Amino acid sequence: MNVPFEEILKALFAECFARRNMIIAVFSIISLSLLGIGTIWPNKYTSYSIIHIDQTNILQSLMRGRAEATKAVDHVANAREIIFGDKIISTILHDANWLKKQVLSEVEQEQLKQDIKKRIKIEKVGEALIKISYRDSNPSRAYITAKRLAELFIAEGEKSKSKESQAAYDFIDMQVKQYLHKLTEVETNLSKFRSENPDSRPGLVNEVSTRISNYQKDIEKARLELSEAQIRQKSLNEQLSGEAFITISQSKEGQYRAKIAELQENLESLRLDYKETYPDIVRIKHQIVDLKTSMQEEIKRRKIAKQNAKNKGGTFIDESILLNPIYQQLRGKAASTKTEIATLKARISELHKLLKHEFERAKNISGGEATLSKLTRDYDVNQGLYQDLLRRRENARVSKSIDQERSGLTFKLQEPAKLPLIPTGLRFLHFVLAGLILGIIVPVAGVLMLLQLDPRIRFSQVLTSELELPVLGEVREINSYSELYQTKVNLIVITAVLAVIFLIYGYVSWLKVTGKF
Amino acid sequence: MSMIEDALNKVKSTRGNALTVISSNEYLKSHEDDDSRLSKRNIRFDERTQLTTINHASSVKEIALMKNTELLQKNDLSELKIIFSDMPDNKIADVYRDLRTKIIQASKTKVVSVMLTSCVPGYYSTMTALNMAAAFSLDESKTSLLVDCNLNNPQLDKKLNFLEGTTGLTDYLEDEGATVDSILQESGVKRLRVISAGQSRETATEYFTSLRMRDLMSSLLTRYSDRYLFLDAAPVVDSADTRILVELCDYVVMVVPYGKATRNRVKEAAKAIGKDKLLGVIFADKPAIPKFSNIKNSKKI
Repeated sequence: MNVPFEEILKALFAECFARRNMIIAVFSIISLSLLGIGTIWPNKYTSYSIIHIDQTNILQSLMRGRAEATKAVDHVANAREIIFGDKIISTILHDANWLKKQVLSEVEQEQLKQDIKKRIKIEKVGEALIKISYRDSNPSRAYITAKRLAELFIAEGEKSKSKESQAAYDFIDMQVKQYLHKLTEVETNLSKFRSENPDSRPGLVNEVSTRISNYQKDIEKARLELSEAQIRQKSLNEQLSGEAFITISQSKEGQYRAKIAELQENLESLRLDYKETYPDIVRIKHQIVDLKTSMQEEIKRRKIAKQNAKNKGGTFIDESILLNPIYQQLRGKAASTKTEIATLKARISELHKLLKHEFERAKNISGGEATLSKLTRDYDVNQGLYQDLLRRRENARVSKSIDQERSGLTFKLQEPAKLPLIPTGLRFLHFVLAGLILGIIVPVAGVLMLLQLDPRIRFSQVLTSELELPVLGEVREINSYSELYQTKVNLIVITAVLAVIFLIYGYVSWLKVTGKF
Repeated sequence: MSMIEDALNKVKSTRGNALTVISSNEYLKSHEDDDSRLSKRNIRFDERTQLTTINHASSVKEIALMKNTELLQKNDLSELKIIFSDMPDNKIADVYRDLRTKIIQASKTKVVSVMLTSCVPGYYSTMTALNMAAAFSLDESKTSLLVDCNLNNPQLDKKLNFLEGTTGLTDYLEDEGATVDSILQESGVKRLRVISAGQSRETATEYFTSLRMRDLMSSLLTRYSDRYLFLDAAPVVDSADTRILVELCDYVVMVVPYGKATRNRVKEAAKAIGKDKLLGVIFADKPAIPKFSNIKNSKKI
């Protein structure tokens, strides 16, 4: 149900008017109560100092590029740690005259310290600025405390800074010594290793592996050549074997056969003209028989040669063949091939020996070189670091000297503490205003809440829109003459009450301003 | 000379001096300082009010013949919180006039009976009913009659400061010999008559279911041609009497007091009345800031 704002406002005014006595009562109670609190509320004076803190850390600059320093420095937390330390608070207790007026027991002093701590506020106001403020009812004590806090904090900070630079120098010096020791150790190891392994030099492994590779290549090549020579030898041997002879022999047989066929042809032609007894025919017949016999002998000889060759494994060579120049040439080639094979075999054997030797050598070299490279690397690294640290140690020495002479201050008092003249925090004026404002707002808000939260119907729109009932009219309360008169009297009384309240306000304010209260 | 006096003079001329009529001016003069009279009043209808001879030709004349012996002063009306024509806060009277117009429109020129009841137990619709009846009586051509039907907790006598023992509705319903005239009483407002609840309240529910009650209703409605009948009943939710009365009247107007009724309560009451009879709702007692001039000019009474 949406009730127009105007209707709500009208209802609020009407309800407030109807409850005016209650509202005035609440207003009176709240405003006078707050006025009362305001009068007894002690004024708080706050004095503060702003300190600039150099962001750079001595060790950070000294170790730049070599070591990472913590980047996010919480200055407030650091300041809190320093200021809230017992040393500074105890000094404050004395400096701000807390202990002059009265003698306090240890427990009371501790309690007082806790109270002082509660009133100290440390906050970050800029990138490198921190504000140290102190709140007190006494302005001069607030001023002294804030001033001393800043001074003590800076002094402590400087002290710690000096300590820091000394610590940085000591740290770097210690590192230098450590690296020097390491470097000496590595150098000794290196020289010892070199004396023990004179061969070991950088790149030897590559050299050996190249050599092994070459040997392997040579062996492969020799093997190929050997295989080739062996094939050639086999071929030559075949040529020189009995088969060649047989071939020759067969060609002799063929010659016989051809001669016999030729004679047979002559014989046949002669038989055409002559009788068997014709001398030429008889001669030819004899010739044929002789040739056949020779051929048979030749066949027989070949068979025997074959058999002998088979039995002996050698080659039966006829003298005529032996005297053949081609055969001589073949034999020469076979002999040279045999020599070549023997040579190649000897080379391969030699190459294998060399290869084996190189492998042995490579084994020894690889272990030695790893040790050598490790030692060399260690030496290089340690030497680099040592050189660097030597340079940094010199820087640290300078920083330490600067800090000792206080010419490189990190803490700077940006804004010194001032004597506070105007109180801070809740003041009398705030209570006066809060009393008047809350005195009106609280009861009116209460009435508004009642309008909003009370389930009972206060707007006719509920009847029409929600309950769908026809509303004939809205009848207001009738005020009789006497009621109007009573209202008049009531309003006069309320006005009087308000006037009294404002008079009290004015009088108390006047007393407060003139300092009589 | 007002229209009423003119009408009465005409009646005088036809009927002689049988009527005892006083002009309103004379009446006001004679009662200017009589402020305490109301509280001392014990209105007995049969002793102090008589209807004159009625001329049925004109309702105005007819009404003018009604005798109003003791009319309430402005101060009295203000104290009783009854509206009057020139009251300081005219807006309230205008609202009631507007309500009157709506009822007349709904009744379609016929004289009707309207029951007023509240939806909240303990809250009585008497003042709304009284002012509604008073609004009708502001019109010179109409009269109104308000009957207090809240027999268990009669409120009308208290509002009008009647003395205890006033004869009323229950007395009529119990006494077969009683006449309507015997229970009709002057309210102190011109053209507005009232009937009190009466003294006997033992068997209230049975009274309204009786035939005599029905006869009374029809008799009251037909007595004058322009008389509107208003029944002030107990809150409908917790009264069986009121539910019976719903059947006897023409319309029901439900009074929803500001800041007292929840939605469920109103729904329940509307359901008990029924859609046919429920003419509408009056959102009553809405708080308002009185005019500053009214407060400023107010005097001690």
